[in-house]
Amino acid sequence: MRMARHSAVDEDEDEDHGIDLAPMLDFVLNLLIFFIITAIFVKEVGLTLSSPPPNNQAKQNNDDSSTMYIAVHANGDISIDQRLIDKAAVRANVERFHGEKPEGPVIVVANTKSPSGIVVGVMDQVRLGGVMNVSVAPTDCGGTR
Amino acid sequence: MRVHRHEGNEGHHGIDLAPMLDFVLNLLIFFIIITSFVKQTGVKVLKPDAETAEHRDDGNILIAIRPNGDIWMDRRKVVLPEVRAMVERMHAERPEDTVVITADKTSETGVMTKVMDQVRAGGILTVSVATRGQGD
Repeated sequence: MRMARHSAVDEDEDEDHGIDLAPMLDFVLNLLIFFIITAIFVKEVGLTLSSPPPNNQAKQNNDDSSTMYIAVHANGDISIDQRLIDKAAVRANVERFHGEKPEGPVIVVANTKSPSGIVVGVMDQVRLGGVMNVSVAPTDCGGTR
Repeated sequence: MRVHRHEGNEGHHGIDLAPMLDFVLNLLIFFIIITSFVKQTGVKVLKPDAETAEHRDDGNILIAIRPNGDIWMDRRKVVLPEVRAMVERMHAERPEDTVVITADKTSETGVMTKVMDQVRAGGILTVSVATRGQGD
């Protein structure tokens, strides 16, 4: 009698529990760990690149002085107004230009052979100098100006 | 007999796993979705330094330029004309993504500007160049 009652109770309990979730849980946890490991949280920091406005050529003839040109040569030299300057001097030049013409954009005229690290460095210096409107124009020639 | 039955009953009523299972499944779905977003380039390059760098949360399409001028995108080497088609496809998949070019310090600027033109032609107008800013 006692035995019979006991087995009845056992059966009841089995019905309550339904499917065993443990293997599925193991599997899901493994999947989870796999995706956590493969997930890449790269968030690059960077400078926004812009090219000069297309009507630049026309503008250039009208008010040439409202735009500052910084040339980067193939060997990485930097010059402003055909005057060779150091990278550290870019910021001071830009600050002066910005003081005179607060709206004036800066265009980095980069030789296509110049190392991009220098160009990005110059862009950074320009932004430090206060001018956010900076664009890169590639050129094949020596990059006078 | 009595003791056995008592123990059995207690064992069955352990912690309720259902909420934890829900949580774990949500986590799983989150990570599955996250992995497919960022288009890695597959190569490592030396990024230039910059102090005024900004974070771009939507910069999910990465294009790497190696020192020798090779262009890498989506874990394989591509040629310049391919960039436009790939950008067009990715732009159609997720229109809010922008492009980050990770150009090596010593790579030529010409390659960078050509890639930039290709990306623009592919329909994504916001292009930035990755740097090693204060954030890194």
